[in-house]
Amino acid sequence: MKISFDSRKPATLMNERLEWDSYLEKVGLYKDKAAFAAVFKHFSPLLKSFLMKSGGQDSASVEELVQETWIKVWRKAPHFSSKQGSASTWIYTIARNTRIDAIRTQVRQNPDRLNAEDIYADYPTEAPHTSLVQLRNKRFVSEELRKLPAEQAEVLALMYFRGKSGQQVADTLNLPLGTVKSRIRLALAKMKLALPGSIAERQTGATEND
Amino acid sequence: MIKNHPDADLLAEYTAGVMALAPTISVTTHLQFCNSCKSTVKALEELGGEMLEQADAVPVSDDLLEQIFACVEEDETSEDSLLTRPTTIDEVASSIPAYLQKFLPEGKLHWKFLSPSVKVAPISVGETVHELALHKIKVGGKVPEHNHLGKEITVVLKGSFSDEDGVYQRGDFMVREAGEIHQPIAATHEECICLSVLAAPFKLTGLKRWLNPFLSFSPS
Repeated sequence: MKISFDSRKPATLMNERLEWDSYLEKVGLYKDKAAFAAVFKHFSPLLKSFLMKSGGQDSASVEELVQETWIKVWRKAPHFSSKQGSASTWIYTIARNTRIDAIRTQVRQNPDRLNAEDIYADYPTEAPHTSLVQLRNKRFVSEELRKLPAEQAEVLALMYFRGKSGQQVADTLNLPLGTVKSRIRLALAKMKLALPGSIAERQTGATEND
Repeated sequence: MIKNHPDADLLAEYTAGVMALAPTISVTTHLQFCNSCKSTVKALEELGGEMLEQADAVPVSDDLLEQIFACVEEDETSEDSLLTRPTTIDEVASSIPAYLQKFLPEGKLHWKFLSPSVKVAPISVGETVHELALHKIKVGGKVPEHNHLGKEITVVLKGSFSDEDGVYQRGDFMVREAGEIHQPIAATHEECICLSVLAAPFKLTGLKRWLNPFLSFSPS
């Protein structure tokens, strides 16, 4: 199976990333169209890739979702703060919510009563990281993500990009659910995204569901 | 202090947006109490952003940007709609997450007796795989011993309860796998209110088996 994110792609320069943050802040503050166009140009092909893989629709309907995502980005930009997270993270959450709502509309699951955005409220952490700490973390995650063993990267890609639950990933790869869970945990521990203590502690529980 | 948290892989599913609605709501409910899991979710969202950065690019139509500008100019007036919290009379109802209140008819919870010490208020969120409900156990009340046919998630909203394995307090998040039998008992100084998500109806073991029909409520 092809891995959904391209680990061979050269890393976007980290200072370039800070630019997206400041562009997005300009969109929020001044409704700056040139800044928006710059962010759009960089992220649109990535968003299309992300939304295409998870939905599997034709190009036209995927672009509708891309468009919907950008309209939300424009409207919500005043709420964006680089202190709370980077542009790519923020755009990711908006695209994810757009995808969830699109799927729920398809299956007619209360589409008018609740948006993904209502559920995934913004969670400002207690103490926002300084942009330097944030950038260092981001670089670390970026590098570690590239170095993940293929089997761990594949599981994450199926989940984040193709929108599959742990059980669906297990079914797709013909693996026990416990194996999928432990691959996720190992990957997260490697990228220092989840506390290793809590992972070790629950390692035994991971295999119980096989 | 919260001792029971969702596992990292569950938080990953949550962040990736691949969970059904009811379990997603249970995780969000826990996050309202738990800063530690909140920051894990933040970190997992950063992973999502990073994966987006590393996605292989697929070109978009040339006129997409123009179309977007045309759309946003059309309704310059519409701010992104903030969730309006309905006015609730019910004391418990007003303490549950705002988005859940959308599902309460007239902002009220409809409590049904499950046993002398347990009341349940099912909340239909419009999904059929899981049942979401609030459970209220009165001071010192015992929940009849029951066996889970399906996975159950419980988040404590108020008070505390204990079972064979420990004591669970406000914010605690527990997963019971199918086949686990337990008998929760509320603390003796305060009633206990929990949000629970059931993957399938559970059946009672022991003497109170007759209660089963009441427990297997189904979402309308």
